[in-house]
Amino acid sequence: MTQLKSDSPLVASPQPRLLRALTMLTALGFAGCLVLGLLVAGTDIQQGQVQRIFYIHMPAFFGAFTAFGATVLGGLVYLWRGSEAWDRIALAGVEVGLAFALINLLTGAIWARPIWNTWWTWDPRLTSAAVMCLTYAAYLMLRAGIENPGRRRSLMSVYGIFAFVSVLLTLFIIRIVPDTIHPVIVGASPQNAQGSFEATSGVLLALLPSMILWLTVMPITLMWHRYRLALRQEAVDALKLKALGG
Amino acid sequence: MRGAKRRAICLLALLLALGGWTSAQDESPYFQSAAFNVPILAGWENQSGAGIAQFHNPAARATIRSAMADGADAPAAAAADLAGWQGLSELDAPVYSGKVNLADGTWHVLAYDLDEGRSASQIARRADDRFIVISFLESDPASRTLMLAIAQADESLESPAPELDSALQQVTPLRLAELAAAGAFQQPGGDWLVYHSETARAAGSIFGNDSYIALQTGSAGEQMALGDFLALADAWQSTALGFFITPDNSLYLWLGVAVSLLMLLTLIGSFAWRARGLRKDLAMLEKLASADAD
Repeated sequence: MTQLKSDSPLVASPQPRLLRALTMLTALGFAGCLVLGLLVAGTDIQQGQVQRIFYIHMPAFFGAFTAFGATVLGGLVYLWRGSEAWDRIALAGVEVGLAFALINLLTGAIWARPIWNTWWTWDPRLTSAAVMCLTYAAYLMLRAGIENPGRRRSLMSVYGIFAFVSVLLTLFIIRIVPDTIHPVIVGASPQNAQGSFEATSGVLLALLPSMILWLTVMPITLMWHRYRLALRQEAVDALKLKALGG
Repeated sequence: MRGAKRRAICLLALLLALGGWTSAQDESPYFQSAAFNVPILAGWENQSGAGIAQFHNPAARATIRSAMADGADAPAAAAADLAGWQGLSELDAPVYSGKVNLADGTWHVLAYDLDEGRSASQIARRADDRFIVISFLESDPASRTLMLAIAQADESLESPAPELDSALQQVTPLRLAELAAAGAFQQPGGDWLVYHSETARAAGSIFGNDSYIALQTGSAGEQMALGDFLALADAWQSTALGFFITPDNSLYLWLGVAVSLLMLLTLIGSFAWRARGLRKDLAMLEKLASADAD
């Protein structure tokens, strides 16, 4: 017991320089993208100021896509190699991805209120996005309910791989089901789409940096922080077991 | 530190300048003002000024104008706008007055015969504490052209004929039965059903539950070409249907930004909270270990 120290490298290892740089880049990039979306991009004359939510709404979905994609990768590699590190990556992907997916869902509802005159409608895209959020929320609940660590990791790896179907469904459903009011940004919108707009150069100027940030830097940085937290959690749990074992 | 602040200000200025440049590259098909937006009529002279969208067709001697006006009610505001625009001290009673419900509210429809062979058609509706007035003015002494919008009496009918007949009766001594059907003609904004005689033309187009009506009367042989007449009608209908006010929904934008920030802060806060919990657990374990050692 006497060898327990709070500065143990497993418990309180200093942040790698790359992670500190990424954290700084994420913070500055997020602020810069907000400036681009809120101040630099032109106002959509048909939808008004609320259209600027787009610069958060769509990038947030693609950020979730990256994070949930990491969960699939983590699950596959864990099942293949049995490395716990990949299970931590999978878990980090779910937590970060769920936060992003909720941002996507909530900003969508807020945007819908003035444009569609409703907070929510059971449209195929909205429904599939809600199902996606519930699927990953269930991942966290199920994971917390399995005691055996090895069984938990294996089961959640499989779950994380199959849960990605809900992400793909959300992504492609408006191109499969024509009866939707959700517009398509790249390509022709469905006939019933309400609130579509043209991706002009002003829109692209604000959208592209946001997409790059949310698709790469933000999920990677947040997942890395979550990974380190999982690592610390496991170290403290191991110390607790050791302490209990005397 | 001062250098970093200066760099940040320079970067922000660069971003804003880039935004201005890209906005200039995106040519809008709309006249945009703080109060309203209206389609720019291709091929018409753009005489727009601050807060007034005005397009003139010299060949047809016609002008379409959109502006904000003050008044006790929509007809009064429309009359005041027309009188002010044309420098008239007073206006005679309108030759046509009606109402039509469009997607964005109830519009008053008015038509006036002015002096020197001019005629004016207007639609007007309330917008907050002011009124929007869209006017069509024609000053061809050889003909009289009016543009109206009338709610369909029978929405199951896919023909504007009943509204054409009603409009003709109200503003001319003619009935639709006195005119010959010339057929349907396609224009960019929709299909127009045309009736004509030697001295009169009537064209109608249905959009939603309303008929858009264009009437022209004049001396035999002095009417403009049918294509030009229909182009005028289509320009009027495009202006009436294309007019819109940019909604003020900034509160929803700020709500969306706040919710996004809250979600991210919750995620980051949960990481920090759990890390703090782990540090506490570790401190407790250390305390237990030292107590055990004692």
